[in-house]
Amino acid sequence: MTSARVIPTSIAPEARADALIAAFERAGYARVTPAILQPAEPFLDLSGEDIRKRMYLTSDPQGRELCLRPDLTIPVSCDYLASPAAGKPRGFCYLGPVFRHRPDGGGEFLQAGIESFGRKDTAAADAEMLALGLDATAHYGLAAPEIRMGDVGLFSALVAALDLAPAWKRRLIKDFNHKTSLAQDLDRLTVGAANARPEYQGVLAALAGADPKGAHALVTDLLSIAGITAVGGRSVSEIADHFLEQAALGAQASLPRPTRALIEKFLAIAGDPAQASAELGAFAREARIALEPALDLFESRIRAFAARGVEVSRIRFSTAFGRGLDYYTGFVFELHDPRAHANGPLVAGGRYDELLTRLGSPRAISAVGFAVWIERLAALRGAP
Amino acid sequence: MSAPFVIAVPAKGRLQANAEAFFARAGLELVKPRGARDYRGTIADLPGIEVAYLSAAEIVDLLAQGAVHLGITGEDLVREKIPDADRRVVLVEGLGFGHANVAVAVPQAWIDVHSMADLDDVAIAFRLKHERKMRLATKYVNLTREFFSQHGVTDYRIVESSGATEAAPAAGTAELIVDITTTGATLAANGLKVIDDGVILRSQANLVAARAAKWGAAERAAARAMLDRIAAQARAQTFREVRTRFPRCDDALLAEAKRRFGVETPFGGPTSSGMLTLHCPPKHVHELAILLREKGAETVVVADLGYVFSSADPLYAKLEAGLGLSK
Repeated sequence: MTSARVIPTSIAPEARADALIAAFERAGYARVTPAILQPAEPFLDLSGEDIRKRMYLTSDPQGRELCLRPDLTIPVSCDYLASPAAGKPRGFCYLGPVFRHRPDGGGEFLQAGIESFGRKDTAAADAEMLALGLDATAHYGLAAPEIRMGDVGLFSALVAALDLAPAWKRRLIKDFNHKTSLAQDLDRLTVGAANARPEYQGVLAALAGADPKGAHALVTDLLSIAGITAVGGRSVSEIADHFLEQAALGAQASLPRPTRALIEKFLAIAGDPAQASAELGAFAREARIALEPALDLFESRIRAFAARGVEVSRIRFSTAFGRGLDYYTGFVFELHDPRAHANGPLVAGGRYDELLTRLGSPRAISAVGFAVWIERLAALRGAP
Repeated sequence: MSAPFVIAVPAKGRLQANAEAFFARAGLELVKPRGARDYRGTIADLPGIEVAYLSAAEIVDLLAQGAVHLGITGEDLVREKIPDADRRVVLVEGLGFGHANVAVAVPQAWIDVHSMADLDDVAIAFRLKHERKMRLATKYVNLTREFFSQHGVTDYRIVESSGATEAAPAAGTAELIVDITTTGATLAANGLKVIDDGVILRSQANLVAARAAKWGAAERAAARAMLDRIAAQARAQTFREVRTRFPRCDDALLAEAKRRFGVETPFGGPTSSGMLTLHCPPKHVHELAILLREKGAETVVVADLGYVFSSADPLYAKLEAGLGLSK
């Protein structure tokens, strides 16, 4: 097994990082060195405009936006997609500088990590990532880091199973992905306020019960009578659909109380994964909600952890743990210094099965991986 | 000789005309000793001040660096171009011209979008349907990012625009825009409307001071001389001087005039011979004159004011407080 082969602390940080990457290579991950200068588009597209203020941006003579890579997951994924191996199971590891503006410290720092593509054995691949992440901290003398874990797939399954308007479902998923804790936001969460406009109430109420096809035609006609042509990328039909969706939403401008209670109950499930698994099962039965595929995966993942020699009871699981990056789709984890010397995780990663599709792959390719903050690990040595 | 005190003024367009008119009202004449095309000038009768004529964007850069002491430029540019603007510059005073709102505008056909919350939902739905994010054209990249972040809207991409931003949706290069608008007429002509809670900033031309500039005794004296005249003129503009001889004037009458008309008494109550000087906002001058005569005044004289200098020196005090200079 992978556990606690603690390297003597006399080795310099760089040599130590090289030894770590060599270990990743021995585990079957081919070392890659993507370009440092990258097109900015995929990062902005996948991480959102907010990352712009942390990126080192420049442009080429044609005016295309370039950046110094702020992480390696996207470059490794793009290189894999552009290669003949795209779609086949492949594993890569990397060690190199990434660049982000940081209020404290320099803008350049070292990251190592692993990306695993195209594996069908989801639970085993997830468990392997956690095990290799634990190897990385053990490499730096920390054999028992704090393990935080979540599963974005469980929340998606819950939302899919709830009897809610589409606008509500989109909103919940988005907020879960963008906030570390959704629970305290449920109060303030509202969907579109257009239905609160008094002058629209009559029309919206009339449309709410109407046959969808006729209502759709009416909205389309009203727009053309008003002499309004659609500009930009949204078609009239798309606008009409969403308008009618708002009509259907009616007075449901805040989350129905029983649904809210259910979500809060779900998000309160946390602790030892084995125990959480039992609680989730009871929750699903009681609420008559089908969480099966996601819950089954959760359970087989726990078995896979045990098979890799990970002490499952040491994992701190939470249904609310969401990572704040909207491309995660399943398993997410972070390893922390239990003495909290480091400012942030030492290792962080998870599953992002939609990433490669969003980067342009014509078919879905599963993907899971993690990144290692080398400087944070190296700093642990000096810490008391 | 020490480095001069520099004030940067817009070099062209309506902002330049407005800025010159602003100085002219304060009796400060901007002169270009080497001809109209010169980009350096002075202020007549105010030695030790250099006027630099620059583009609005350059003014903001130089203020951020502290390469000029004061500048006249729009708050929109200050907030957009200087990260953490309040730590680098001080917005001393809004100047009452160059008004423009920076606002989020969407196609009028989007009858399903009235608020930022609606926009958020449409943005998420758009990404799911089209497998790309909505594009937003703007030259206000930073203001947009901050505002959208505050509203939790994340599913959009910024397309930088340097030309006619409002034409981008019709041209098919963006779905929505963030741009400046004064009346909304240009937006409407391009089939766009402003979202109800989508005004990011209500901007106007400001007198802006650079924190990083040298603010020694000489610079402070130069700033004080100029700001004193501007403040004195600004105050003079907001009042008319009303004089009368009025032996029966009492505190009750003064209190009534203050309460009803916002009258001020720059020299206190009437003199021993009953001479009374009041400062009254222009729109209440006639009502005040009626009141004074009802109470026994025979003649009431009203005159425009050139300057009202006060020991408080309000504009310079604001600059000093903003820059954290000690008196």
